[in-house]
Amino acid sequence: LAAVLALAACSGADAAHNRAAGVFTPVKPGVLTVVTAEIPEAGFWEGTAAAPTGGFESRLAASLARHFGLAQVAVVTVPFADLVSGQLGGADIALSQLTPTAARRKVLHFSEPYLHASPAVLVHSGNRIDNMSAARAARWAVRRQSTLEAYLSGTVRPDHPVVATDTRAESIDALVAGRVDAVLLDLPVATAVASASSGRLVVSGQFPTEDDLAAAMAVHASRSNKDAVDSAVRALVADGTVRRLAHRWLGLSVEGRSSDEVPLIHTPS
Amino acid sequence: MIADILKLQDPSGEAWLFLVLFGVVVGGPLVVQKLKIPGIIGLFFGGLLIGPHGLGFIGAGNETVFALGRLGLLYLMFVAGLELDLDLVKRHRRSVVIFSLLSFSLPMTAGTIAGLALDFEVAAAILLGALLASHTLIVYPTLKAFRVGNDPAVATGVGATVITDTMSLVLLAVVVGSTQGNASGLEIVAQTGLGLAIVAVFCFLGLPRLARLFLARFGASRTNRYVFALVALLAAATLAQVVGIEDIIGAFFAGLALNRLVPNEGDLMHRIDFFGSAVFVPVFMVSVGLVLDPSVMLRAETLEMAGVFVLACLGGKALAVVLTRPLLGFSWPQVAVLFSLTAAQAAATLAVADVGRNNGLFGNTVFNAVLGLILVSLVVASTVASVFGKQVPVPETPAAASHPGRRVLLVTSPECSVRSAVVGLATRLAASDGGVVVPVILVADGESVPPKHEVERLEQQLGRSGIDLPSIVLVDRDPARAVRHAVESSDASSVLVDDAGDRWTPDLAGPGDDPGVPVLVVGARTEGASGRFRGAVVVESAGVRPSPYLDAVSLRLAGRRARDGAGAELVVTLL
Repeated sequence: LAAVLALAACSGADAAHNRAAGVFTPVKPGVLTVVTAEIPEAGFWEGTAAAPTGGFESRLAASLARHFGLAQVAVVTVPFADLVSGQLGGADIALSQLTPTAARRKVLHFSEPYLHASPAVLVHSGNRIDNMSAARAARWAVRRQSTLEAYLSGTVRPDHPVVATDTRAESIDALVAGRVDAVLLDLPVATAVASASSGRLVVSGQFPTEDDLAAAMAVHASRSNKDAVDSAVRALVADGTVRRLAHRWLGLSVEGRSSDEVPLIHTPS
Repeated sequence: MIADILKLQDPSGEAWLFLVLFGVVVGGPLVVQKLKIPGIIGLFFGGLLIGPHGLGFIGAGNETVFALGRLGLLYLMFVAGLELDLDLVKRHRRSVVIFSLLSFSLPMTAGTIAGLALDFEVAAAILLGALLASHTLIVYPTLKAFRVGNDPAVATGVGATVITDTMSLVLLAVVVGSTQGNASGLEIVAQTGLGLAIVAVFCFLGLPRLARLFLARFGASRTNRYVFALVALLAAATLAQVVGIEDIIGAFFAGLALNRLVPNEGDLMHRIDFFGSAVFVPVFMVSVGLVLDPSVMLRAETLEMAGVFVLACLGGKALAVVLTRPLLGFSWPQVAVLFSLTAAQAAATLAVADVGRNNGLFGNTVFNAVLGLILVSLVVASTVASVFGKQVPVPETPAAASHPGRRVLLVTSPECSVRSAVVGLATRLAASDGGVVVPVILVADGESVPPKHEVERLEQQLGRSGIDLPSIVLVDRDPARAVRHAVESSDASSVLVDDAGDRWTPDLAGPGDDPGVPVLVVGARTEGASGRFRGAVVVESAGVRPSPYLDAVSLRLAGRRARDGAGAELVVTLL
């Protein structure tokens, strides 16, 4: 037992070639190629595709590459609509605040989730929308054709017509300009936008859902790659990497993958 | 049409979630047991059916079932520690130690080699070895049904569980520690060792004392006793997590630490077992099933891994039990039942695999292969136990002289009053054999039966000392005969009579009424020694007839047979 204990202790954490966790084989040897929809994306991707300077998903990509024993990360961008239709631009994985849905699962393999992403309410700092009746009475903006738009119309059912925008930035502009009272965003996105607003915007509530953010791979990706990405994501959640990155880049305190910092808005079951 | 009128909606919300979950908890085992397959497998496949890879009733990101499953895992490990028969370890310590080393080291070595051969990194290969080295006493109830629970081979297998599972969990702590952060090998061993020491001190020194204090003040309520056990489990698990050790180790240590205070036959154990087997543990099993993925399970790589795991595990266990023939002198049927006991992989295996998966050491392929191993091991172990259990000769029931504390009848008067010193003596005697105390109120014919509230008051008093079985009221013209009948009907191993007033002593010692177990009368010489008894216990033979139990009882009760000056002397007369 002593010998085994010593061996275990000295074995270190080199998981690069561990068949038990799945072996990752990149498209380009020695490089993890990551695709995302847009750079910069507040809190998630800073800088440019050629020279990313930080952000939650940018650093997550670097951690994944390190986990797989890959020396380099290459970043490419593909429009969001193409991404969710399965076009990854030849990349190994997509890190683009993607929420797995049944429709997307038909064209993409999703990894284990790395962050819980319940729909969250972004408002001006003086406003509060923390219950269902206030949510229904509010004027909303949301990105068109997103899972959030469906949630807003299906569950919240606002009294006023919803302003649907083509991009997330347009929704936030509508809020800043006072044309709407609130924007519905994934919680990590909402906290990142609030952090970057110098206190002008706040997250006033989150709706209880099982939505998550996860990495995506092409449907033809090998089973071993998927297994390896799943194991790596679990390892990064377990060893606190995800928690540290979320706190540093999104201003979000998470326990495991979830945050209970933002109040829940209870919905009728 | 009706649907339109009623505005029917798809089922959703917490009620639907729990309906689906507990539907599987109830139905899963029932379905597979019809096919002669262990019920646990039904829970796994039930989880698969309702999970993201099945009908999708419960999504991959469902946090409620995940959290309940985690609680179930902690509960499972807690109960595993609580249920172990430490008395068996003590009684068969030589064979237990020898067999534990064999049963741990051989599958451990085989598993590690298998892992390395499968191209696992060292930490994952060692974790696989630790996983295969543990075992779960799934077939113990089957062997008990064959009345061979006290056979030396069975006792050795049961006792070995304490050591093998503890060693597996220690290895788990080291391996997981080695994958977190950038500490050196020596630092990891030091961190893990210190963490384990802190958890062990809290559990083995702190928890029993806290339990006694709590029971003395609030133990009259059954609910309080149960909730205390739950709090102890969660406190130990939390402390383990705080010092960087896996929380399941804290839960297991908490179970071991409270083992003596929660006898297996007692009411508290039954409650803990009930909630565990009805709710927490099945939910954990179902949550494991949610991870099952048929597209992974049936792949050649998974089946290949499962085959290697089965060979390494069952091969290592088989070699370990075969070596007991020359080393411990067991017969072939004994070797076979020992194999059935230690081959079954379930609780600890699942716990280690789950931790390995959550820490990213094991991928879905390994996890699904481990579930394949569990399935095969359970079927093999159940079959071997059923075939060979009946071939092992039924051992003689242990003589009351050697285990007087197994089931102690505490006899009190119709006034339902019993001195606290006597209660303490009863619990000490029972604890010495991991047994229970059964309160008996003896009412002579013609005397009035005590009212219900008096009986409840007595039970509350006894509850504060951890005695939690309901009282039996006996009405008989002849006290000696009543006691003898009570001994027979409740399978008692000794009788302790609080006889401050010399009411029954002569009758109990009457000719022809020997109940066949030690009868201890705590007599009048202790009058005035009320309250907490802190003094010496003196056990003496009454001289009415020679007592064959004097030594056994003295050793368990007295510890010190001389007056220590700290309090009153308590004289126990053996009839």
